[in-house]
Amino acid sequence: MDASEETATIALLGNPNAGKTTLFNALTGSNQRIGNYSGVTVEMKSGEFRTPHGKKIRLLDLPGCYSLRANSPDEQVAVDALHGRIEGMSKPDLVVCVVDASHLERHLQLAMQAIETGLPVVIALNMIDVAERAGLRLDPVRLSEELGVPVVPLHASAGKGVVELKQALRFPFPAAPEASWLGGSTASEETRRERIFEICALAARRPDEHQLTTTDRLDRWLLHPVAGWVFLVAVLFGLMWAIFSFAQVPMGWIESLQSLVSSWVENVMPDGDMRSLLVDGVIGGVGGVLIFLPQILLLFFFIGLLESSGYMARAAFLMDGLMARAGLSGKAFLPLFSSYACAIPGVMATRTIDSAKERLVAIFVAPWMSCSARLPVYFLIVPMLLHESEGTWKQAFVLFSVYAAGTLAALVVARLLRGRLGPDTAKSHFMLELPPYRAPQWKYIFRHVLDRGGAFVTKAGTVILGLSILLWALSTYPKSDGDDGEALQHSAMGRIGAVIEPAVEPLGFDGRVGTAILTSFAAREVFNSTLAVLFSVSEDGSDVENRDHLRERIASATWPDGRPLFTPLTLVSLLVFYIYALQCLPTSVVVAREAGSWKWAAGQFVFMSVFAYLASLLVFQVGRLFGF
Amino acid sequence: MPAAPARDLEIDSAMTLNQVGVGCDVMIRVLNGPGCERLRDLGFCEQMRLRKLSNGRNLLCSVCGTRMAISRELADQVWVAPLG
Repeated sequence: MDASEETATIALLGNPNAGKTTLFNALTGSNQRIGNYSGVTVEMKSGEFRTPHGKKIRLLDLPGCYSLRANSPDEQVAVDALHGRIEGMSKPDLVVCVVDASHLERHLQLAMQAIETGLPVVIALNMIDVAERAGLRLDPVRLSEELGVPVVPLHASAGKGVVELKQALRFPFPAAPEASWLGGSTASEETRRERIFEICALAARRPDEHQLTTTDRLDRWLLHPVAGWVFLVAVLFGLMWAIFSFAQVPMGWIESLQSLVSSWVENVMPDGDMRSLLVDGVIGGVGGVLIFLPQILLLFFFIGLLESSGYMARAAFLMDGLMARAGLSGKAFLPLFSSYACAIPGVMATRTIDSAKERLVAIFVAPWMSCSARLPVYFLIVPMLLHESEGTWKQAFVLFSVYAAGTLAALVVARLLRGRLGPDTAKSHFMLELPPYRAPQWKYIFRHVLDRGGAFVTKAGTVILGLSILLWALSTYPKSDGDDGEALQHSAMGRIGAVIEPAVEPLGFDGRVGTAILTSFAAREVFNSTLAVLFSVSEDGSDVENRDHLRERIASATWPDGRPLFTPLTLVSLLVFYIYALQCLPTSVVVAREAGSWKWAAGQFVFMSVFAYLASLLVFQVGRLFGF
Repeated sequence: MPAAPARDLEIDSAMTLNQVGVGCDVMIRVLNGPGCERLRDLGFCEQMRLRKLSNGRNLLCSVCGTRMAISRELADQVWVAPLG
């Protein structure tokens, strides 16, 4: 194929939940997150494909929007892209407007606005199967005649009609249609609306009577003021329990693999610095983090399941009342809930919030939703706190409380901050589309889970590997001839710990824990690796580095006067610190970008660090006063 | 007839969505208030039929087969008349 061939650009436009992302995947085969909830696509994704005639097409997946009036930041992105106002991106050559056939009256509004832009338009009439099941009598040919643009019926999630759509996108593209309803002037809402009613009367006749659907019947219970809440709390609690207990088997496999690799290295290599680096630094450090991969995959799996099934929007509906007490709306629920997996997509998802001030507040508190990077720390500490092995319901309860503590503090701070920022210039109201319940799209959930898992493994193989080696070096050099304890004290790490100790002692920690906290400011998971390195430097190599072992090691650690280092109060203090500290550089970068100000990101970092320190200090000192 | 008095007349003979009973099928007559444009984008247009599904802090309605949740303040801007 000629390398200098011109690539045409096509923009994919549509309402939220019209199936744009599904169609994008079907056309490009690209990995893309799908969510049965308004506003999952908050950034523009692009992919490439070829038409049946070999023409190369660049496809832009625009954020879902209800109109081209740009009421929220993600809608603004779509409008700017259509008008060629995004830097480095030319105006699209054609717009594919994805329209949900079962909600044609509503979705035609956007399609007609797209036609009014003067760009060539092709309408992808998606979810034709759902429309037919609902008893709609559709006439795509008539629809095409009335609108003056090609209309292709589709069932994108089953891949039906995708080839026909590609045929419709053959070169040269269809000419830009004339918006007949304009009558030479600009369209008034009323003329457009009247035209929609006329078109629907001709091309999409709906049965008159309201039919009770399965979604209606389910919502009667799931949105019930009492039963709905019971179900929501049960879902969230069940999610925590499942993450704790289902992951045990695969975690066992990773532990076994880690021990096999460690033993093999110890057998084939002579004792020395290189063996210590590999066993204690690399395998111990990276393995100590990698072991949490199953739990992180499970968390993303369950969030994907909730989004894809349509329940996430119901949770937002139920949560609106609670969010209002924090000065936020139900629309802030998805960004905040996504932050339980990772604050970065959560912060980006705040673009769906209409009010600029509410959005800033949601960005500010999002990192307090305990993200998956905190899980390794929680999973290390919680079983120690309860003196039992992993996977019990008591631990699920403690974990639930940990999440609740972060969430409650976030809501209180949101309330205070929202009050300080003052009211919006234009009042925004709660409006939310509740999509029908659907069977989860397993293919996309698993793709998403694998993507996230891949990102975690990559992080473990790069950032965490690098930091593990650095930590090993710091705790090994400069060397001394004394025993292991002396050697550690003499090392660079020991000296850093000694400097930090006075600052962290009021929280109940010694210099080693202080050092582990300090290193975890780059990424939270490094806390475990640092402890693994710090507490296993005296290993003779006969034992295997794993989490139970690490737990045993740190449980038996003492202060120089023989007092145990990790009392229940110290563990709670440590937990509190990790709930509230913002220890993630990539999050700060994204916050600065999304809030449009480095000051906001820096203020957030300083505020959360100070808050974490003070909260931990308060817990430890008050606990001590009460004799714990 | 001027547009504004016609609208007033429509509103006089209609009621807001908040006043409608749960389970009632109604037709939207007039949208009147600062949230009108957004409501129309979401499908709450004049002459559109809808069924009110629940009351509460936010109302649930079914518009053309789509379930929408809107706040009570917004529902006060939707003037409807019973079908039939």
